[in-house]
Amino acid sequence: MTAAPLLEVDDLRVAFRTRDGVVNAVNGLSFTVGRGEVLGIVGESGSGKSMAMYSMMGLLDNPNATVAGSALFEGTELIGMPLPKLNRLRGSSIAMIFQDPMTALTPVYTVGWQIVEQIRTHEKVSSQAAWKRAVELLDEVGIPDAARRAKAYPHEFSGGMRQRVMIAMSLACHPSLLIADEPTTALDVTTQRQILELIRDLQAKYGSSVIMITHDMGVISEIADRVIVMYAGRAVELGGKSQVVRSPRHPYTWGLLGAIPRPGQRGRRLATIPGLPPGPHDDQTGCPFRSRCRFAMDECSEMPPLRATGDAAGHLDACWLPGDTRESLREEIA
Amino acid sequence: MLFVAKRLGSALLVMFAISIVVFLIFFATPGVDPAARLAGRGASPEVLSQVRHAFGFDQPLPVRYVLMMDHLFVTRDLTSYVNIGDKVVPQIMQAAPVTLSLVLGAAIIWIVLGLGGGILATRFRGSVVDPIIMVIGIAAVSLPAYWVGEVVNLITQDRLHDTVFSWVPPLGYVPFAQNPGQWALHLLFPWLTLALLYGGIYARVLRAELVTAMGEDYVRTGRAKGLSERRILWRHALRGSLSPVVSLFGLDLGSLIGGAALLTEVVFGLPGIGKLTWDSLQNLDLPVIMACVLYAAFFVVAANAIVDLLYAVIDPRVRRA
Amino acid sequence: MSDTILRANDVVKQFALRGRHRGTIKAVDGVSLEVKAGETLGIVGESGCGKSTFGQCLTRLLDVTSGTIEFEGTDISGLSRRQLRPIRSRLQMVFQDPYSSLNPRMRVGDIVAEPMRIHKTGDRRAIQNRVADLLERVGFDASMAGRFPHEFSGGQRQRIGIARALALNPSVLVADEPVSALDVSVQAQVLNLLADLQDEFGLTYVFIAHDLGVVEHVSDRVAVMYLGEIVELADAGELYASPAHHYTAALLSAIPQLDGEAEPERERIVLTGDVPSPANKPSGCPFHPRCPAATEICRTEHPVLREEDGRAVACHHPLPLRVLSRVEHRA
Repeated sequence: MTAAPLLEVDDLRVAFRTRDGVVNAVNGLSFTVGRGEVLGIVGESGSGKSMAMYSMMGLLDNPNATVAGSALFEGTELIGMPLPKLNRLRGSSIAMIFQDPMTALTPVYTVGWQIVEQIRTHEKVSSQAAWKRAVELLDEVGIPDAARRAKAYPHEFSGGMRQRVMIAMSLACHPSLLIADEPTTALDVTTQRQILELIRDLQAKYGSSVIMITHDMGVISEIADRVIVMYAGRAVELGGKSQVVRSPRHPYTWGLLGAIPRPGQRGRRLATIPGLPPGPHDDQTGCPFRSRCRFAMDECSEMPPLRATGDAAGHLDACWLPGDTRESLREEIA
Repeated sequence: MLFVAKRLGSALLVMFAISIVVFLIFFATPGVDPAARLAGRGASPEVLSQVRHAFGFDQPLPVRYVLMMDHLFVTRDLTSYVNIGDKVVPQIMQAAPVTLSLVLGAAIIWIVLGLGGGILATRFRGSVVDPIIMVIGIAAVSLPAYWVGEVVNLITQDRLHDTVFSWVPPLGYVPFAQNPGQWALHLLFPWLTLALLYGGIYARVLRAELVTAMGEDYVRTGRAKGLSERRILWRHALRGSLSPVVSLFGLDLGSLIGGAALLTEVVFGLPGIGKLTWDSLQNLDLPVIMACVLYAAFFVVAANAIVDLLYAVIDPRVRRA
Repeated sequence: MSDTILRANDVVKQFALRGRHRGTIKAVDGVSLEVKAGETLGIVGESGCGKSTFGQCLTRLLDVTSGTIEFEGTDISGLSRRQLRPIRSRLQMVFQDPYSSLNPRMRVGDIVAEPMRIHKTGDRRAIQNRVADLLERVGFDASMAGRFPHEFSGGQRQRIGIARALALNPSVLVADEPVSALDVSVQAQVLNLLADLQDEFGLTYVFIAHDLGVVEHVSDRVAVMYLGEIVELADAGELYASPAHHYTAALLSAIPQLDGEAEPERERIVLTGDVPSPANKPSGCPFHPRCPAATEICRTEHPVLREEDGRAVACHHPLPLRVLSRVEHRA
């Protein structure tokens, strides 16, 4: 681990000015992504996981949003980067795919045209050469009869096939980082499986780093090397995939894992997290989870730092509970 | 090809239906006796029956309908009921170029104004440019065309005619074939007046569409691809946003050519279709009304057919239907 | 407990297609099943498999093209709207989208009271009391009745929808993707609530969802649908432990596994291609173009749903019963 990480995010903050005051959507997020690593960011809606990525990529076009903190990509600061410079990175070094493949492609152009546009935005190649590469890419992501299908419009593809098109387009300029925002959420389970396999295969082949944003712990388990669990704009737990999924340390992660109905465990009452995630206008000091936490204490009115509380290296959590009591406490709520 | 044939067939059907409706309204409306109007006030029963016979009003309705259509389309010698001897078809042929000149010229101007305004307003959303364009737009929409026309006339023909606008010719129409320069000069202010109203509407519609489009997922994809804002607006957002503008354009163009530019025609003394329709309605002059209505229906239907074709060009999703 | 309360016999639902692909598609193609009083029957399948259409046929929100639906012994498939009214109160539906299924202009109390007012179950006072009871039962304070739907989160709205469905004391609830729009932690709250209500009121559920994990968790028996047909119907635990149909097996293997989770030894089956459109349904077994075990007979002969060992499967080459894992599971 001597090489510098590909992406180094430090104290990222996204705030929105609203009529009722400032809302902190992302509240001091720090993490790194190594080269060739797959980082999973898991959280429920409103946890700020997508917002953090969008702010980094300059995709927040809300004039009331302010972004602070730092995100170094290959040593270059992304936050506050002027648009022309950012546009040279977006789509070439950093690519993105989105949740809803139905709406993410422009409906009035063929998919081949859209991939060619991606290539020619960043590289000086003839349109014939770009078209040839677009067909190759479509073929590589498993679109049958790619040469003919390149001339088809997005509405002529199924959801899974459109997501493949999106992946082909995102890979067109060999990005070193792929940010995938809930790429399988809108898809059926067998299609989700296909897309996950595809991302995994391509990631192995090209060695790109991937940030996978999802609400599904199962997806994280399938694909991620390391995991960040986000809650109310903060990282509450960070660690290797197996560490987080098998021996989670934060009470929120316990609840999140317990709430998933797993096949083969039918009839068991699901563990629930009482109450609702804090709204944008709730008190934003202290641990954001404390109002729903069974183990909340006086200390929780102060935000715990993300730090190692156990023996496992690289497994961090933001909770004041004594490190050695975690396992027994988790048993308690299971 | 099949598409075109289908459209043509339905256009003919629509025109046939309209002609029947107009015909029936005219003859089947109780209390409206064209013979009485033709014969003049206080005509004796003998004169009335003479008139009836002379104009064929004593024949059964279907026969009269067929006769009228025969005179209108085949022999083309249908004559007015009011200005006895005036043939209808030449009247239309004379009025149509005036209206076409007025509307087509204005259309070019308002499309440029509307698209330009809409795109500019979207491009500079958040700055003062956007609200300024939109306020101008709403003002243009709210001002009635005849009022704008009268004000323009007042200024160019009267108040400032001796100074700034001394080059403005008197009201009226000069055929293109006779003198293209004068044709354009005579139509310049009518064009601008008509275009102001529609340009305002189009700018507002397009801006609303563009702003919606700029919030779409595919625009976010475009940004993530590293496309410039300019390219996203022009190549991605604009194309889908044009559909409603095109359908609006079809409707407007059809009805304006069909005679809806009446107010502008009257204000600027242009003897177009609107004026002709208006006069014939005043006199209950059925042959002229019939000809005008069918002429108008033709353009409305034709414009709609063209809109459908354009739709398919703009949006591939429509092509399958 | 084993009385059949709801029975579908060879239900077919056809839709007419317009445009270039004129014709009809069979969204539901000959589905027969029985729902026993007090049980939860899960119906699972991917988008386009006809599960939602079938659910709406069951509650007669859609008219069936052919076949019958028997509710408490009466064939309701041909009843008029008027005749249906007393049935509707006992056979209720809960919908997927908690955002669009509640009228945004009505207060929550009125939303819950509306079915009672329509059916005139009592005077104003009685209805008001019942609304308060219902709201409390699904976890709200009775004072919430005066609020509007937009003041609630997705999970809360779904609970309001459940309260509305319960207003007329139904015996059967058909729930169409009731939790799929919700976050995991909220989803668990709603699932637990549904389980509690079932125990308390002896409700029968038909639970329609695409999420096999959720369906398996709540159901006693599960029907798997593919292209408008039931391809497998079995006890939930057995279906999971030992799927008989290759499609069920593929669905199960596609569920992302939690890291380190004990799972029955199972081959990872990644299906190729997409679900075909019901408009051009494959001949023979509808699953044969994507099936790893398809043979000649699958292309030509349509397999019927056969019952064997308490599980029903429509397959020419069903997977063998996995005795070991079944015992393990029961333990």
